Parts: sequence; C-alpha cells; structure tokens
Amino acid sequence: MTDVLLRQRSEDPVAPREVVRRSARRTRNWAALVWVAPAFGMYALFVLYPMLQSIQYSFYDWDGIGPAKPAGLDNWKAIFTQPELLHSVEHAFILIVFYSVLPVGLGLVAAALIRELRPGAFSTTARVMLFIPQVLPLVAAGIAWTWMYSSDGLVNQVLRAVGLERHTRAWLGDFTFALPAVGVIGVWVMLGFCTVLLLAGIGKIEPELYEAARLDGAGRVHEFLAVTLPGLRRELVVCTTFTVIAALASFDVIQISTQGGPGYQTMVPGVEIYRLTFLQQHVGQASALAVFLAALVLVIIWPIQRLGRER
Amino acid sequence: MRSLNLYRTAVGAVAALLLAACAPGGNSEAGPAPSKPVSTGVGSQPVTLRLLVNSGVDVPFYTALGELFHAKYGNVTVKVDNQDYATLTTNVAHILAGSTAPDIVRVSQLGNLIEDHLLTNLDPYAKAYGWDKWPQSQFASTRVGPDGKQRGTGSLYAVGPGFGLTGVYYNKALAQRIGMSRPPATAAEFDELLGKAKNAGLQPIMINGKDGGSVYPLQNLVMSSAAAAQAVQDWNYAKPGATINTPATVNGATVLQRWGRSGYLPADVNDIDQTRAPREFLDGNGVFFPSGNWQAPGLDKSGAGKFGFFLFPPRQAGGPSYAMTAAANLGIAAKSSHSDVAAAFLDFIQTNTQARQDTVTLGGLAPAGPADAPPPTAAAGSAVAATVGAFQELLKSNGLVGFMADATASIHVNSLIPQTQLLLAGKTTPAAYAAKVQSDYERDLRR
Repeated sequence: MTDVLLRQRSEDPVAPREVVRRSARRTRNWAALVWVAPAFGMYALFVLYPMLQSIQYSFYDWDGIGPAKPAGLDNWKAIFTQPELLHSVEHAFILIVFYSVLPVGLGLVAAALIRELRPGAFSTTARVMLFIPQVLPLVAAGIAWTWMYSSDGLVNQVLRAVGLERHTRAWLGDFTFALPAVGVIGVWVMLGFCTVLLLAGIGKIEPELYEAARLDGAGRVHEFLAVTLPGLRRELVVCTTFTVIAALASFDVIQISTQGGPGYQTMVPGVEIYRLTFLQQHVGQASALAVFLAALVLVIIWPIQRLGRER
Repeated sequence: MRSLNLYRTAVGAVAALLLAACAPGGNSEAGPAPSKPVSTGVGSQPVTLRLLVNSGVDVPFYTALGELFHAKYGNVTVKVDNQDYATLTTNVAHILAGSTAPDIVRVSQLGNLIEDHLLTNLDPYAKAYGWDKWPQSQFASTRVGPDGKQRGTGSLYAVGPGFGLTGVYYNKALAQRIGMSRPPATAAEFDELLGKAKNAGLQPIMINGKDGGSVYPLQNLVMSSAAAAQAVQDWNYAKPGATINTPATVNGATVLQRWGRSGYLPADVNDIDQTRAPREFLDGNGVFFPSGNWQAPGLDKSGAGKFGFFLFPPRQAGGPSYAMTAAANLGIAAKSSHSDVAAAFLDFIQTNTQARQDTVTLGGLAPAGPADAPPPTAAAGSAVAATVGAFQELLKSNGLVGFMADATASIHVNSLIPQTQLLLAGKTTPAAYAAKVQSDYERDLRR
C-alpha cells in the first residue's frame, strides 16, 4: 500500500515548489489526524493501554486484587531460569513446523493441484473439505481429536485394521508422540485456511503466464516454481504470518487435548500464561511471559514481512 | 527527521505514562474487616439470598436446599446461580471484589481470598450457632491463619453441607474371582491382591492418570508408609517448615512406580481421564478403582449392589486408616448485606435432617455437622452406604486428611500431575519426584 503511494508521488509529473508542497503536506497531515483520531482512540484504549499495563505488571509481584509489590526483574529472570517456562517456549517453536511449515507447504501443493482441476463438483468438494476445519470451533476440534487419539480411538483402529497393531498407542499420553500428535491437529486446522488463501492467490495470476510457460516447454514442476510460487509471494507471507502467530500463541487445542501433559511434554506459553494468571494469580509473572511471547512473535514475524515486501 | 522526532515524543510519552502510573492493585493498608455484631435470626423482612455454585450436580442440590430453607423461613428466597467449575475457580476473586457479589459463593480453593479480605470471618457465627462444639476436624481445612496463607489454624472462613472422601471401589464379582472375601486389612495384602488380579488376566487397577487420579493412591501410599498423616496435613496447610520430601514420600512413589511397571495400572494410564476411568470400571475393566464418594451415586445407578468401597488399608492390621477429604465449601462474601441470613442458611444445611439426607442423595457427599446428628440413610449394600459409613468412622478417628492437590492453587496441575506422569513413565526417580514437588511447593508459597 505505502509503496504504491510512494511510487505515485515520485511519478508525479508536475513537481510543485518545495515550500508549497511542505505546507500542503502539513495541512493534509493535520486533517488526516482528525480522521484517524476516533479509531486511534479506541485502539489506544483497548490495545495500546492494556499492552503498556502488561509491561508495567511484569515488574510487580501482584495477585490481581490486593496490593502489588515491586519485583524488579525477578519475573523476567524466571523465564530464563525456570526449566518449565523455557521448555514451553521451545515447544512453541516445534509447533511452528506443524502449524506453519507443513500447512503452507501442503497448502501450496493442494492449491496447485486444485487449480488444474476443471471447475466443477469435484474441485468444489475438495475446497469445502479442506476448509471445513476452519468452521469448527477449536475446542470442538480438540475434543474430537482427543477421542480419535485415545487407545481405542479411530487412529488406533485404523492401524489395527492394516496390521500395524504394534504401533498402536495412547497418542496423547505418550511422551514421544504427544507433541507431534497435537501438531497434527494444527496441520488439520491450518491446512484449509492456507489452501483457500493460496487458491485465491493463484486465481489472480494471469493465465497468460501459465500459457507462456507451457509454450516455453516448462513441465508442471517448472511451471510451479517459475509462475505459481513467485505469483503467490504476498499470500504466502500472509499465510506464514498468521500460522506462525497461531503456533507461538497456541492455547485452546493444548488446553483441551493434553493440558500440557504427559509430564511437561506439550506445555506451551499460552497455557502457562493462563495458569499463572487465573490459577496461581501470579499476574506479574504471567505478564512477563506474555510480553516476552509478544516480543518473540514480533521478532519472528518481522523478517517474514520484510521478505514479502521486497521486490 | 520529523518521524524521528515523533518517535522520540512517543517514547517520552510512554515512559512518562509508565512512571506516572502508580503500582497496580488495591490498598495495602486495608486490614481485616472489623467484626460486626452478629445475630442468629433471619428477621421478618423479605430477603433474596443469592448463591453462586458450580454447574452440574451442584445446581439441583443447592436449589433443593434453598427450597427447604424457604419452606422453613417464608421471608427468605434463595436464588441459585451457577458457573462451570473452571470459570468459577478462576473468576471467584473478581466476582467477590465486584459490585454485584453474591451473598454465598462456592469456593473450591481459598487462594488469596482471605489475604484480599473478600470473605466474611465466620468465627462469630461459629460461636453463636455452636459450631465450635462440633468435631473440629471438619473445619480445619477452611481455617486460615493471620498471614492469609497457613490453613488449619486461625479463623473460619467457609463451611459446607458435606465432604468428598476417597477410598477404593471394587468390583464385587471380579474380587470374588481373585479370592477376595473381605477388603484387605493391610497395604501388603492389597498389593498381593493386585498381583493375583494380574495373574488372573484382569486389569488390577483402573485409574485416571491424565488429570490426577493417580495422585490419590500415591498420597494414600505415603500416609500408610508413614503410618501417620500429620506431616502431609501440615504440608497441605502450609505450616512453616513443612516438607513432603520425606522417606515416606519416596517409599510411596517407589510402590506406585512398581505398580506401574508390573502392569497393575493400565498401560495407557497417562491418557485416561476422569470421565473415561469410571466408564471403564463400570464395564468391568479393573478390579479396583481408587476414587471418591462423588462416584458412588453413579456406580449405584448403573450397577446397584455390584460395587463395594473400602478405605485404603493401613500399613499394619488395625492401624490408622486415612482418607483424603475436601469439603464442599461455601463462604459468605465480605460485601454481602445479608450475612446474618446467609449464616443461618449455612447452619441450616449442616443441621437440618432433610438437608443432610439431600446432601447424600443429591450431592453425593457425606455430611458432617454435630457429633450426635443421625447419619443419613442409604440402601444397604450400596456404594453410597459404604462411603457414608466410612466417613462417620474417620470423622471419629480423626482420619480425614486434605488433598495434597489442594496445598497450593497450582501444585496439582503444575507439579503433582506432570511429576506423577513422569514417575509412572519411568522418567523420574522416586527421590527426584519428592524433591521436585517440594521445591515447586516452596516456590508457590514464595518461601
């Protein structure tokens, strides 16, 4: 958006004299401020102010009701010294593979395949089926998957049916497989979102490009790499941003399916923050972890956004 | 340049805001509420008493109690609201601090409610109604010391209609198959029975390890290993210097780990939750099911007379038996303007014969109250009758101990559940288990 405006301005054929331009811009800015003020006021009140409050709380030892005691950097030190808190952050990073890398990758493949289908009942069905998980509340999805993963659930029934009896296990109660199993729920939820968004993006790529690629003798793989992938840059950035945030801030699926167990195997910062706030009433510690998590999300999202903007 | 200036201004503004903002939270000088003169009557003015309880079984139960109370005192109407357990537990402090606080609230954990002066001190009412002449062990868990943290001492802040109680259910038919003619008299005998069940191709124990059921037998093993419960009770009540890092805990954890290794516990124990475990037990998967009296009405309903109940056996025959207990506690909001009527209601539900009967049949709880109160009736041979009988016995022998899970607000979910799961998976040692639970406990109490 901004670069479009910039380009327009620089391409402006009649460059007005310096002084005039400056004052004009200033008036325009003040007018703009007036227009922005109501929205900014709301944003400041409901987003910025609470954010600053969280930062403030993170330096206190406070139970949410009674008096707060200044705690210096204790809450922040705890994030890096308490193994459970640090591990929860590690798990969030592992979840990026499941919430982000796999859905975006598989979504690309699915979108490319669906594009080749002639529009009709089959392609619509495929689209609907992939998108349905987005319609379900995550809590319902978490419960359903918990049933499927249980000892006599669907997953193990299928394994038994195909003779893989010895690989059956209580997936969510297994120390090795609990985190990947939770991750698969993430893949299932995110895949539809990525596919639909990428399909929409593919629709915007000019058909002539595909035709040209075909005429130049490009195969499917080559066509995908040379036309589809570059054409989807912006959609890919949106998908990745959205899913990475979902991975780092994951809460509902874990809270419903494993509550962080077995042991501490699937504990994530979201669940920790919830427990610290509402169960332990350590609002200060929870705020520190929440601010840390928000900063972490920004640090990771920043390069992805830069990547999307480059031309 | 301009943008840089803007940026500087913004940063300056933020910094100023942070500095100017005073510390969050309430007034540190607020002392305990001065005790008002109390009266034991309900007056004659029309009063609506607002109760806030957990969703589910609480609602019909407390509604019935409210109707009984209204039948006796026509001017008092009891209105029962509910929130699901997790929502109420997490929001209770804010509800009590708010301007529309209910008169009576179901408190599952006292947390910081006392420190923050949100509940009414019930000492004057205990004196006025004579609760202080009843067996006092029933009130220990809701007495809180002047520091607002240590329990089992100090003033009374909550009372309730009845108690949860743990023990071991058994499937009578399966027990007969392994030659169990009477409940085991010692822990060693129980261990033998588990071995027999395993050899007979049965699942010896059904238990929910996913959400903490496996912590019950652990605590029982700790207490029977020590043949005493004082250390655990002190720990539960946050008595200064209390520790759970003891030889008894290491022994208990060792036995539980061995049970897991020997296949006495289900292979997928860490994946079984509290809705699945009773279902499996009802279906005959499991000879024994360590759980609480809240399961008894359900078991009787699905299989009347098929299931028995015994208290976890002591180390030596005839030694002291212990069970974990937790009261269904009700507290009076500090902001309630009808505290006298609320206290009359609390006295009524503990003493009225019909209310005590409802406590058993509707609430699935064992009522305590005065020592000479007649115990409620239950069908002979039912699981409910067995739990009510066991409770009366323990009330007299002082064998009721709080749940380790209630020692701090988060010890259950953050330490006991994950550590017991690690123990059963062989990923931690009994000694490391005891040490870790203790260190988490100290951190929770900020010691």
